[in-house]
Amino acid sequence: MIEFNLILQLLQQMCVYLVIAYLLSKTPIFIPIMQVTVSLPHKLICYVIFSFFCIMGTYFSFRIEDTLANTRAIGAILGGILGGPYVGLLVGVTGGLHRYSLGGITAEICMTSTILTGFISGIVHYILLKKGRVDLIYNPFIIAILAMLSESLEMIMILVFSKPYDVVSHAVHSIAAPMIVANSIGSAMFMQILLDRKIIFDKYTSTFSAKALSIAARTEGLLRDKFNQENSTKVAHIIYQELGVGAVSITDREKILAFIGIGSDHHLPGTPITSKATLESIEDNEVKYLDGLHELYQCSINKQCRLGSALVIPLRGEKKEVVGTIKIYEAKNTLFSSINRTLGEGIASLLSAQILTGQNESYQQLLSQTRIKLLHAQVNPHFLFNSLNTLLAVIRRDQEQASKLVQHLSTFFRKNLKRPEEIVTLKDELDHITAYLEIEKMRFIDKLDIQIHVPKLLEQAYLPAFSLQPIVENAIKHGISQMIGLGTITIRAHKYQQILVLEVEDNAGNYRKEHKSNNGLGMTLVHERIQIRYGKQYGLTIQCESDIYTKAILKLPLDKEHRNAKYHNC
Amino acid sequence: MLNIIIVDDEPLARENLRCLLKEFTEINITAECSNAFEAIKAIHNQSPDVVFLDIQMPKISGIEMLSMISPLHMPYIVFLTAYEEYAIKAFEEQAFDYLLKPIDPLRLNKTIQRLLIINEKQNLEQLKTDKYLKYIPCMGHNRIYLIDPNDIYYANCRTSGVYVFNHDNVEYYTELTLKTLEEKTQLIYCHRQYLINIQKLKEIRFSHTSHTDIILNNDISVPASRRYLKLLKEQLGLV
Repeated sequence: MIEFNLILQLLQQMCVYLVIAYLLSKTPIFIPIMQVTVSLPHKLICYVIFSFFCIMGTYFSFRIEDTLANTRAIGAILGGILGGPYVGLLVGVTGGLHRYSLGGITAEICMTSTILTGFISGIVHYILLKKGRVDLIYNPFIIAILAMLSESLEMIMILVFSKPYDVVSHAVHSIAAPMIVANSIGSAMFMQILLDRKIIFDKYTSTFSAKALSIAARTEGLLRDKFNQENSTKVAHIIYQELGVGAVSITDREKILAFIGIGSDHHLPGTPITSKATLESIEDNEVKYLDGLHELYQCSINKQCRLGSALVIPLRGEKKEVVGTIKIYEAKNTLFSSINRTLGEGIASLLSAQILTGQNESYQQLLSQTRIKLLHAQVNPHFLFNSLNTLLAVIRRDQEQASKLVQHLSTFFRKNLKRPEEIVTLKDELDHITAYLEIEKMRFIDKLDIQIHVPKLLEQAYLPAFSLQPIVENAIKHGISQMIGLGTITIRAHKYQQILVLEVEDNAGNYRKEHKSNNGLGMTLVHERIQIRYGKQYGLTIQCESDIYTKAILKLPLDKEHRNAKYHNC
Repeated sequence: MLNIIIVDDEPLARENLRCLLKEFTEINITAECSNAFEAIKAIHNQSPDVVFLDIQMPKISGIEMLSMISPLHMPYIVFLTAYEEYAIKAFEEQAFDYLLKPIDPLRLNKTIQRLLIINEKQNLEQLKTDKYLKYIPCMGHNRIYLIDPNDIYYANCRTSGVYVFNHDNVEYYTELTLKTLEEKTQLIYCHRQYLINIQKLKEIRFSHTSHTDIILNNDISVPASRRYLKLLKEQLGLV
């Protein structure tokens, strides 16, 4: 009878224990111990938690004939099986020393057996891990058997080693069964609690990540192209399908761009935003959540609208400014799930990033286009007025020469009217350059020597307009015109595999990397433009030996534009 | 009668101006220069009344050149430019005379008339933006060097002209005067005919004959006179 009471008492104690375990399992502390890891902080957490349970098991014990009926083994077993041999041993030592400090005739034996229990559990953990049976570590049945065996071992040890035998034998007789039963059931249930938590957690994370990944993959790049009605509708549709919510809507700052789901009959894309929450969200750059319980979502368009809760998340573009919102709705009779709420915010930042990239890309393109246009719309005024001044002198000197100069000038200006995005032949570009150089030659008379070596075959190669001319102009402006003596400019073209290599060399050697801006905006633009168009392996490289030479080498794909140009002609 | 020099790197631009100036009997063109190096030399040699100076020139621009001319020889400057947005604005504010190329004969006439009547001093200081020269123009045999003032150990004035010396004691001839060098670089006088770079000073050696030598880091010795030694000591905080 006493025995039966003791079982009940120990089970009661175990229940308190399990409640604490359950509560703890709700906190983030438990996340690390639900995974088999080797990381030191996780092991440490494991040690602390189970040592605590071990000590608690001793505290809740009952003194029976100078021994303690307890549930200490639960802590040692779980510590060992979840944390491995070292953690098991340490938990055992901690729990054991605590037990020893309480004294009694079985103090030493209880301590030893607790240490052994922890260590053996750790060994079991180690063996299971080696055999690749991680699943068994979390098996409550295994734990129960382990507890049963280790408690039996403890009892045997007490019988064998503790004295006086008759007292001990009587004590064991009364506590053996209750302790074996309580510790086995307790350990198994403890593990079951952990297991449940783990399953819920895994399930939650996997659904969550699956949804998030799927949305991320399906909406990839959609809003980068353009944040407009068409793309927004596609995105809203994907989110609506994936989240399975009542409705999804995307707006810009003024109007609804897309609306899918319940209420799409009166929430019409293209109409202005009327919802107060949305307007506030845009105004304050804040997430607005109307959960449908404390705060009701009331449709501002139609009183009959079935939507009852809404989450409004701002979409942020450049400088974190709100460019629009994404809204997720649930119907009046449906609860807004917290997963969807978190996911919604994640999706919003995903979409924001896409919009931002899109904005940056289009700005950049626009910028480089504008810069090129500006550059070419504006003939270097220095060149212009100096040429006219030269013309003045030439007219007086030599009529024939003057008419040639006028010819060159008109060729130069005509070629300068090309559109920068046009594709031209190398010959055309060279005509432009020759006109330019002839004018410069008249300005400097004996100071400029021009060498052009371009094979006839390559003259028909295609390249973007204004690829070579700015380089030549730069060589004159920053190279030759800064020389006191004779300047020579050499232009060469050759073919290397499928690459067209163009070289512009001057004998001034004035190029300074650190003075990049001085060395011509034109050069940078040529390089950027070619890299954007054809890829990183093409573009402009510059070699320079101070006061000896500067060589600009331009690499272009040889046949790419050839084909394109043919298509254009078709 | 006005003696003038034309400085422009474009031969035809010089020709244009020359042709226009021929119309004025009061004008005498004494030289034409195609760069700042030639111009500094010509100005120092001829002390012209007026220089027509192109701004855009190789190596040393017209404006940079102003700092290199000895104040004693500083002529009246008429700037020439084809297009210099910012410079023109500055000139207008300071009322400097400038001519736009191609030169309008009527506009040139106005300038000349003013030059003949008024003999005002120009204040060109506003144009000299940097206190110190970035480099010293030097002429070698068929070559031009732009030497960093910090690389100069000392400068010496002889009857044949002014020379600056580098670490290896190699001399470079320059058209700049010692006075200009002293004002526009960190070089200081130690003797009427010598400037030293105080950064390169190693020791001052006093001998019993009341003769003083300055030893530089490269172990070259430069004479110091009593008059300048006092100033030098002050500079070093030795008084």
